[in-house]
Formats: sequence, C-alpha cells, structure tokens
Amino acid sequence: MRKIPGSTAETRKAVGFKGVDSLCPYCGVGCALTYRVDGEQTQILDVTGRDGAANSGRLCVKGRYGYDYAMHAQRLTKPLIRREESYPKTALSADVKGERGGKRKAGGIVDYDDVMPHFREATWEEALELVGRKLAGIRDTHGGDALAGFGSAKGSNEEAYLFQKLVRTGFRTNNVDHCTRLCHASSVAALLEGVGSGAVTNVVRDIENADTALLAGCNPTDNHPVAATFIKEAAEKGTKLVIVNTRRPRLADHAAIYLQIHPGTDVALFNGIMHVLIKEDLLDHDFIEQRTEGFDEIRETVEEYTPEVVANLCGVDKDALIEAARLLGADHRSMFFWGMGISQHTHGTDNSRCIIAMAMITGNVGKPGTGLHPLRGQNNVQGASDAGLIPMVYPDYQPVDDPEIQKKFEAYWNTELSPNPGLTVTEIMSGALDGSIKGMYVQGENPFVSDPDTNKVRKGLMALDFLVVQDIFMTETAEFADVILPGSSFMEKLGTYTNTDRRVQIGRPALALPGDARQDWELICEIGKRMGADMAYHSVSEVFDEFVACTTEYQNLSHEVLGRDGKWYPCHDPANSEGERIVFSESFPRPNGKARLVAARQSPPHEKTDAEYPLVLNTGRMLEHWHTGSMTRRSTALHTISPEAFVEINPNDAVSLHVTDGQMVEVRSRRGTIQLKAQLMDRVAEGSVFIPMHFREACANVLTDPAVDPQGKIPSFKYSAVSIVPLSDEARRAGSGS
Amino acid sequence: MSNDTVKLTIDGQATEVPAGTSIWDAARELGIDIPVLCHSTRMRPVGVCRMCVVDTGARNLQASCVRPCEDGMEVDTRSEKVEKHRRMLLEMLLADYPEDSARDAATGDDELLNMARDYGITEVRLRDGASGRPQGVDLSSPVIAVDHQACILCDRCVRGCNELQHNDVITRSGKGYGTRIAFDLNTPMGESTCVSCGECMAVCPTGALTNRALADLKLEPLGSD
Repeated sequence: MRKIPGSTAETRKAVGFKGVDSLCPYCGVGCALTYRVDGEQTQILDVTGRDGAANSGRLCVKGRYGYDYAMHAQRLTKPLIRREESYPKTALSADVKGERGGKRKAGGIVDYDDVMPHFREATWEEALELVGRKLAGIRDTHGGDALAGFGSAKGSNEEAYLFQKLVRTGFRTNNVDHCTRLCHASSVAALLEGVGSGAVTNVVRDIENADTALLAGCNPTDNHPVAATFIKEAAEKGTKLVIVNTRRPRLADHAAIYLQIHPGTDVALFNGIMHVLIKEDLLDHDFIEQRTEGFDEIRETVEEYTPEVVANLCGVDKDALIEAARLLGADHRSMFFWGMGISQHTHGTDNSRCIIAMAMITGNVGKPGTGLHPLRGQNNVQGASDAGLIPMVYPDYQPVDDPEIQKKFEAYWNTELSPNPGLTVTEIMSGALDGSIKGMYVQGENPFVSDPDTNKVRKGLMALDFLVVQDIFMTETAEFADVILPGSSFMEKLGTYTNTDRRVQIGRPALALPGDARQDWELICEIGKRMGADMAYHSVSEVFDEFVACTTEYQNLSHEVLGRDGKWYPCHDPANSEGERIVFSESFPRPNGKARLVAARQSPPHEKTDAEYPLVLNTGRMLEHWHTGSMTRRSTALHTISPEAFVEINPNDAVSLHVTDGQMVEVRSRRGTIQLKAQLMDRVAEGSVFIPMHFREACANVLTDPAVDPQGKIPSFKYSAVSIVPLSDEARRAGSGS
Repeated sequence: MSNDTVKLTIDGQATEVPAGTSIWDAARELGIDIPVLCHSTRMRPVGVCRMCVVDTGARNLQASCVRPCEDGMEVDTRSEKVEKHRRMLLEMLLADYPEDSARDAATGDDELLNMARDYGITEVRLRDGASGRPQGVDLSSPVIAVDHQACILCDRCVRGCNELQHNDVITRSGKGYGTRIAFDLNTPMGESTCVSCGECMAVCPTGALTNRALADLKLEPLGSD
C-alpha cells in the first residue's frame, strides 16, 4: 500500500512569516493585498490579494510578482555627494550621455560601475546641510522662482502635501509639479473647467450597471489590468463596449464596436458622435436644460461633423460610428472611460472636453451606470494632485492666484506665499535650459526618461547649478545630481494613497529601510527646516490631518477612520458610510451648479508626417513594466517576461520598409534616433508605430515632440513623426559597440 | 412562510433561507463547514470534486455546493455514508498524487493533503494509476510551476482564469485518464497567451499550480505581534 505523500521540507529553508496588509505600489486601480514577510522584515516572501474595494482579491502580474525591486542589491543606502573632480556636470553612463559606442549591459538599468565612482558617501548631516545651504543660497540670491521641485505620484498623500508645502513655504515659489503633467493634466484642465472637479464621477466597478461604456484612448488590460477584469466581466453580462483606439487594445476582443481611428482625429470622431446624437434626438433634454450650459455652442459646432465627413477623416466605418452614437445615447446608461490616448496630445484638453460633452448631453453623469472616468495611471496621481503638487493650485485645487485663497494659506502656513502660478514640468525643464531655473529638488521622479525630447532634458539637467535627487535607485536623472538622498520604497512607507476611484487607502510598511536610507517624508521636512520652513511633525497621521483640514473633499478622514480598507472621498459620515461612489447627482461644484459644455474643433497635429518622417509614433506602457523601468526592470519576474525594447510595426508597412520580425531597426525623428527590435504586429494600424516608454537604452522620448497642449501643458507623447530604417548586421554591430 | 424562502434542517439545526440557496451556503451560515475542494466563495459552484456531498435522504448523495435547499429537507453533512464516500474519494485522488506537493512543502495549504490528514488517512489502498504514464511538469512560466500530476481537475484555475480575470487561457484537454488542464491549445504555460496574473496559482487547492519564488522555502507563521 502507498503511503500518503509527505513534504520534503528538509531540503527547504524554513522562514517564519507574518502578513502585512497594504496596497500594490503600481497603478491607479489601487489593489489591496497582503505582503508575507520574514520576521525581521528584510524580505517579502510572496503576495496575496485582499478583498479590497477595487480588486476583490484579484491582482495582476506586477502586483503579485513585481515586488522584489524593493529588495534589490542596488538600493541606495547612503547619502551621496558628487566628487569635486566630476564637475563640470555631465551625464555619466554611456546611454545617458547619448553615446552609441559605450558598453551595454543587459537589463538596461543605470550602470553603477560607470556612475558610482563619481559620488562619495556622506553623512546625513553633511548632505542635508549642503542641500539646505545651496537651495537657500539660490533662493536668497536669485529669488524663489529660480527654484523648482518635482514631487512624485508614487509617493503618499502626506509626502505630496509636505513636498508642495516645502516648495511654497521654503523655496518661496509655486514651481512645483509632478508626472500628472505627463499623464492627465489635460483631462484635469477640461474637468475643472467643465465640471469643477478633477476627479472621477463614478468608480470603475459601477460599469456593471452600465448599458454601454465608451473606452477611448486607453488599454486597461495592460495599464489597469485588474480594472480590466471587471470591464470584461461587465461585457460578458451585457454591457456594450465602444472602444476607440488607434492601436487595437486586447479589450477590443470584448467590444460591441471597435473604432480604429487615425491618430489625432479624436475630436472629429466625438463631434461626429454628437452630431448623430443631436440629429437622432438621443439627448436628455431635461439634463441639458437643468444641469448644463453651453449646449447651443456644441450644437452649432458639431453641425458640420456629419457621419460621412467624420468616417472619412477618422478612417472608420460610417455605420459603426452611427451605431456607437446610438449605444451611447440618452436611452442608455453610459460610462465614459479614457486614458493617455486622449490626454497626451496637443489637443488633449479638447479631446476631454468632447467626452465630457457627450456624457452631459446624454444625461450620463451622477447616476448608477453612468459617469466620467479618466483612468488614472500612478497609484497616487489622484492624491498627489489633490494634495497640491500642481503649480497653479494649493491642496484641493484652490487657485494660487486668488488673493483670498492665498491669504487663507498664508495664515494656515504662517508665512508669505508667491501670488504667481508656477511653471509646469516641461516649462521647468525649459527654464533649466535658459538659466531661469537654477536649482531643483526631484523626489521620486525620473524626468530624463519620462519627459519628451530627451536630448533637451539632458541639456537642461546639465545646466542646473544645483540638483538634489531623492530616490531609491541611481536613476538616469540622478546622474546629473550634486547630492543624492536615499529614500524609502513604497514597501517601507506608512501613508495614504488615493486610487482612480477616489478611494483613500493606507499603505503599511512591509519592509525595514535598507542601510541608512530614510523615510521620504522625514527628508522633505529636514530640507524644509534647513530652509527656514515650519515643518516639524511627529507622525505621518499628523501630516494627513493637516492636509485634510485645508480641503473640502477629504473632510472627516483620518488614518484611524481609513483603517484597513479605506474610504471613498467625499465621505460625510465615516462611521456609517464607505463614502461616495457616485458624485454630482444633484449639481456640479461650479458657481451656478451647472456643467459647462465647451465645444472643440478638430485641429491638425503639431508635428506633421512628411516624406522624410512618414510614420506616426505612438508611445505607451506595457503590462509587465512601469514607466521609466527603475522598478520593474529590477524585478526578476517582470524582467524575465519582458526583457527588451521593441517597436511594433504593421506587417504591411514592414514589407515596404524591408523590415522583418525581430530585426534591429533605427527609428528617427526630428530630435534623435534610437535602435531597437522590430515586432510585426497588426494591432498597430498601417502608417503608425508603437514604442513602449520603459526602455532607456532605446528611449522612446528621444524621439517625442515636446510640444504641449495649451491648457493642460501636457506633451504630445501620442503623436510624433518618425521614420524607420532596417539595420544590417554590420550596422547593428557598429551601433551597439559589441 | 414566504414563497421566497425555504425551511430545512441541517445536522438537526432548523434554518430558513432564500429559495435557491445552496445547501453548502446554508450550512455555512449555520457555522457548519462542509469540506470542499473545487468550490470557492469567489466562484460559481460547479460540483466537480464531489467532496461536498451530503445526505438528503435521496437515492444519491448530493453535491451541496450546487444542490439548492428545498422545503422540508433534512440534511446530514456527516453521516456514516457521507464520510465513507469522502474517504474513498480522497483515497482515489491521492492514489496518483505526487510524492512532493510544492504547495504543502512551501506554505502548508495543500487542501487535498490537509483534508486527508483531517480524515486520518495515512495510507492509500489503491494502485497508483499514474505509474508508467506520468502527467508531467511544466516549468516554462518564470513565475508559476505546473505539476500536472498534482492536478485534481477541480476547475478552480479554469474559472479563475476565465471567470474572475477573464483572460480565457486555461481549459481542459484530453479525455479519460489523459485529461489535463491546458493553456491555449495545450501549449506550455510560458509560451501561451497567459499574462501571468497568478489567479490560477492563488486559487489552486493542490500542488498543481504553485509560486516558483517559494520553491526553496518553507513558510511558517510567526505568532501575531
């Protein structure tokens, strides 16, 4: 007879573990999870999903397997000061210098052997004293507006609040911004203008109550994977998905209608849909009358956008366009989701205005199964924006150029404040280049890889008199730093994070800080103290309370109230309520309570294709990687699944370009060139190519057009003119230097 | 009595539940845990493992996860007949179970082995049906180890993949003893359209789908602090 199998645990290493209930550090979905860690909290052993409001135990590959970056041997553990002999400042590694000939290591992360010798270890006191003295020196000599700070949408609400407070009260300028500028700044501009609030009006999972959902310029299976599972679930149960995207997203498999429009023709398409809505009277007249203003302007503007004209301009089927309008019309409950394909254009604000107008004229806001939902990218981009990491507004979107508001915050922070709106991310980089910005504090962002036109960013960073970078790894941006402060990873922090649904949840420390690394929030305060700002706090929850007290939206929330599972804001009765899933049922937070409809006309792209640069470059993210790659490319699982850069080319274009699948190609734009592998994919339309933004060695942003949207100041990451040439084996060997 | 509810007794306890409630759910409300391998509260019940059978006095034992409660039913979840059935079923499942369960070794939550321990089963009287025709191991995914030999075809991974995550990758292939879970058209997991969300690994009750990161570790809970 057989014995019951026993375990072979003798050959395994025994580890005592405990569970830490926290959150995923990656995207805006905000999945709740539990880290199982060893007793000393030096190692995350595995991750299990928790029954969170946004995920019900589900996770994606990043959340479940992508945690190990925090335990990577390359974590910065000592403050670093640039050596005297490493001035004047330049980039230090071959890739960041933009050289072709340098040695390249697999994995495409900053080469520590190249870079670390240029820095020496310092004590915390020495490093912080130097930072405080240098930044205060620039402020006192050139004025506060010669300083700027980039905070981070990966940090907590508390860190974001402290960072903007440091810049406003310590630097004495409003030059504070973060990656929302590269993300949804145009959506927020349109929402603030039209609705009076930058946040979503309904949560993702309410799609289960929608008859129809528009998903425009977004790719949730890759970028909001767990939200995508609920979208697919709704589609299976009968919600009709109308998908608009130049690059076919996997979600199109579940769609009722997929419209593969020509790049940059979003406004025309949406105006065409509104044309049909008006012609076929699929409007909610009561809603238009009672809840909105500006409808006449919409009606006049969209008159000329007939289905025939629009179908031709956008390259879609006329009947599909009409059918899409009928599905979205007022007799259906419709939700409107959008992503970077809408926002990252020079007409990004116009794109969002049209989506808002479509929702409003069909009465699809403020009720179950309806609403506006710009899918937020970073885990805390909603919260970082709410906390005031924006140059034009204090916390809770209170304008800095309103004298009453300024007075209120001067009293609240007990100091004088600048009345002038500050500069945005791209303007700050231009300021560095022209010398008007002399000193910068970059906390947890990596503009060298994330900002458009890398060659311009390189010059800007080199031109700074003083740069302090606070991060967990040596980033490409940190190569230009005078001082580098080793901060804390998500896994080591206590703090609150606000997800795309407006749900505020607490992340708890799973790991102990490595080496001498310190908490980011403490470092912000330490710099503040050395610049004369009043920033003495005893705890993270005390910071949260100070933030809450100067907002309306976060009223009634505290760490204690948020507890294990968090709340949606606004939350009027935290003892008995989870907070509001759906907002604006009665009125909009605008002076007359009505939504403002703003008409937009189709405008040409800033950069046009021509004979020399005939292809449209689209950039974006992929499932396994995160933004500039500093985290995910240090995750063994994620790097193994997705190790290298590629450009997606339509197979028909590949024939005329003489490119085969897997071949190395050079992609050129008016700003630079990169070399990477071709992937022939029919999900990109003919005439378009797609490059993920994560791979520094083939950095998509070398190519991108730095032109920005006039309102949102967001760069046009989704539309640059490029050309592609195949590289012979010989050229590739010369190019890579191998 | 309302038309929308039914009254019954489970292990002698009287209860009233909404019509359509499964016996398994009704028992759970009463604090009675009926053993189960294929069912999970996160999923649609499918009644494939037959471990949750109960005695309703009917001709056959009923799978409680899919059998709705009926008015006047008298359910016995632990009768001699039921327990004998479960023991036999466990022995059959264990007959070709691998020597090593990666889940049991790493995290101790192999539900099949733990249930066998609960039932005091120390030896299997049946012939090892696997001898000479092993089901195989698939290590093509960098994150999930697949041990087909430890698969009991409970369909949790199939439902996790298709009905929770809607990735539509996992299915069953083959027939008879050759039945296996399969990725796409029976390709290795790492070469399939799997997006490595790990839901299958998270819901698997046995050593069939396990976390490769824990391959060399044995996790033991520390006391709460």
